[in-house]
Formats: sequence, structure tokens, C-alpha cells
Amino acid sequence: MNYMKHILVAVTLLMGVSAFAQTNVDPRRKQAIDSLALEKVKDLSKYISIIGDKQTQFSEAQRVMDRAEELFAPDSEMGVSSLSREEISYYKVREYFERLMALNYDKVTIKWYDIHYISDLERQPDGTYVGVITIYQRFEGTSDDGMSYKDTTKKDITIYVKKKETQIAGRTIEFWDVLLGDVRVTETSA
Amino acid sequence: MRRLAGLVMVLGFYASVGQGLTDDMKATEEQLYASTKQINQFFRRFNGEEDDRGDRYYEGDKKYRDSGLRRKYLPMLFDEEAGSSEDVRKDFVKQLTDRKTPVFLDFHRDDWVAEVNAQFRFKGQDVTALLYMKLQAQGQGYEWVIDDVSFEPFKTFFEKDTSDQKQFIHPMSHELEFMTLRKAFANNEYPEQYTPRSYEPDYLTLFLYEMKRGNLKFKTVKNVRFHFFDIGGWYFELANFNRPGYNTGWLISNLMKIQNDQQLALLKAYVYDKN
Repeated sequence: MNYMKHILVAVTLLMGVSAFAQTNVDPRRKQAIDSLALEKVKDLSKYISIIGDKQTQFSEAQRVMDRAEELFAPDSEMGVSSLSREEISYYKVREYFERLMALNYDKVTIKWYDIHYISDLERQPDGTYVGVITIYQRFEGTSDDGMSYKDTTKKDITIYVKKKETQIAGRTIEFWDVLLGDVRVTETSA
Repeated sequence: MRRLAGLVMVLGFYASVGQGLTDDMKATEEQLYASTKQINQFFRRFNGEEDDRGDRYYEGDKKYRDSGLRRKYLPMLFDEEAGSSEDVRKDFVKQLTDRKTPVFLDFHRDDWVAEVNAQFRFKGQDVTALLYMKLQAQGQGYEWVIDDVSFEPFKTFFEKDTSDQKQFIHPMSHELEFMTLRKAFANNEYPEQYTPRSYEPDYLTLFLYEMKRGNLKFKTVKNVRFHFFDIGGWYFELANFNRPGYNTGWLISNLMKIQNDQQLALLKAYVYDKN
């Protein structure tokens, strides 16, 4: 279902292919791409909340992890640091989700602030466009013995915007698709 | 404080948009809106290219690069705890927002560099290296490249004696087919004293050599800051401030008026740790 939704949004970008192929992204095209990228980030946020929730069945969590992984380009990593630990730990996306699922709390609530900051798109040497979307997560974990932990983390998520081709009714159609890439996770003092 | 209070009023409106947030989350959200969350946002706020909520203004929009908007944003882009002179800041803002000759940041063209404080494993120890990264046009777009490196083990490795008592290869050595080299290099820890006065070791080449030989392994990035060298005759440093409150994120932590080219060269040497 999500796949279809992304295809539909991507197809709306078809009309601007020629303008977009230039160095600067046309503002209207950029806004359409931002919407598509934001859809993917919102999907990721939703999946993270489900994976972290202790009420989620193991099999369901595995299925959601599969969906979440599909949002990312191959080899994407999460670089995680905290206020108490400056050094960044690097995890493959799947490993990050598995660690989230295995956290030793009896109740976990993950909420998202209503803030997203979308950068400009810069073109990299191979012609792919790259940008960063910043979002903020609130984590609360409680144990049955009353111990609780809260933090707010900033997630800077790489987005790659690539030209792709698909066959529709025998015709080759070019469209622009968005994939997520490396994510930097930092704990904030806010 | 008046500036911050004004900002909080504006942000208060947007915070009310948030659904299902607890009261403490709403308070935090106001701070997060105020924070300069990306370098990209610093550029946009500096140039007056976005509204209070972070939505982009484009060329042709009424408020795009509006000097009034910039005069509102620019004072909020300083680290309030840095203690830099209020008068210097005012001069800076006044010059940047001059109606006839405004100064804007240009991501691709400006003379700016990222100073990346990174940790490596070298000869069994964790050591810090400062990598100086620059943007470079490449292929269909741009890439960050390593322009230079400061690495303490290399700095202490080279000690060039330039005094009159320094060792030398005598000026008739050519008649002896430079057999004097044998003595010069024997048991000599500092062969760099046989180089021209202008000689400077190329640490970046050495760094890459050690990495290619497998002697230097990347561990992690500890922090990053940026240096903007000549923005309308000003130098400033940009650093990330992760702390409670509204004055957070990417902020100007150092500001200096550049008087002449010589001062700029000295400043660059200082930033690149060449002094």
C-alpha cells in the first residue's frame, strides 16, 4: 500500500523531469520532492514507534522492520551518540531496529515532535540529489519496578533523490524516487 | 532577551499545531523551533530565505532576502555566551544588511572550510586529527574533499634546525659526487635540516600514506566546526551548541573584522594549525 502511495506521488513528479535535470531544482519540483521525502520519513517514524512498542508482537515487529528497511538505500547506517557518550556508535539500519526492539523496558512510548526541517537538495558528482531532513523523537521507557528513562533525540536523515524508469502500458516513463540514507542520531539537551 | 521573547511569541503559535504532546514536550518544541538545526538553516536564516517556521522563501517571493527579515534573524545567530562585543556584532549585521551592498552566503562559492575533529587509531593509541574539508565541484555536482590535516604525531616528528649551528652538506660536495650524503644521513633523526628554508612537510600526504599502509584506522568524529574566511571582509566561526534554551544549534562562536590580506593569511595559518 505504501509502495503504491510512493509511486503515485512519484508519478506526479513526471511532468517536471526536464526542468529538474538541470543544476538547480525548480522550486515547485522541490516542494513535490519534499512531500515525497517527508512521506517516507513519516513512514519511518511510524515504523520506529511500532518496533519500539512492547505491545507489538514479535512477528509483526519483524514485518515492520522489513518495511522500514525498504525505505533505505543499501548499506545505510545509523550513527548514534548521547550526552553522556560523545563517541558515535555506528549500526546497520536493521541492527538499529533490532536493538530498539530488544530494549530492556516493560513499557516504551515513542512520540515525534511536530517539527521537520528539510534542507535544500545538492547534486553529488553522479548526478543524484542529496538532502537532509531533521526530525525530533521523544523516548520514554519505564520498568515495572518504577525505573524510567526519557530522552529527546535529533535525527538527521539523508535523502537521496534519483531518476528511475518504469514501464506503464508498454511505455518507458522516467520518474524521480526518494530513498533514505545514513541517519545521524544525537541526544539533545532540550 | 526582548528578541527571544518575540521569537517565543511567534513560536507559541506553531507549537499549538503539535498534536498529542505533553506540556513539557510543547515547551521543548518551542526551543527546537528556535534552534538553528542544520548548517543549511544557518545559511537560510543568514540570507533571509525562510519564514519563522523554516519554510523556504524562493527568488521572487516578497520576503526573499528581505533586509528587515535578515535584521531580525542575524542577531539570533550568535552564541549569546561567547561574550563577543555587542558593537562588533552590530557593525557586522549593519554591513551585511546594507540596502545597497548586502552580503549573502553562497554555499558553493564562499571561502569556507569544515574543521572535523576526528579520532583515529595510530600505532596502538587513540589520537585526534583535525581534518580540514572543502567543497569541490566534481562531475555533475559537488563533493567534500580533505584539503589538509593537523596531526600531532607528525608535528612533533619534524624539527627543523635553522640556526647557524645546524648540520649541512658542504658546498663542494658536488665535486665528490655527493659522497657527503653518507655521513649526512648516518644516525641522523632530522634529515629535514638538509632541505631548503622554504620546506614545509606535507602532512596530508603522510597521513594518506599511513592510512594506505594500514597504520591509521578511522574511529569516529568527535565534533565539527566551520570557518568562513572572507564574508564581506569578516571572518566568523560556526559551532554547534547542544544545550537547553533558545540560543542553540549552529551559531556564530567567533567573529572578527579582517583588516587586510596579511591578517587574513595569518588567520588562515592559525585555523589550519600552521603557526
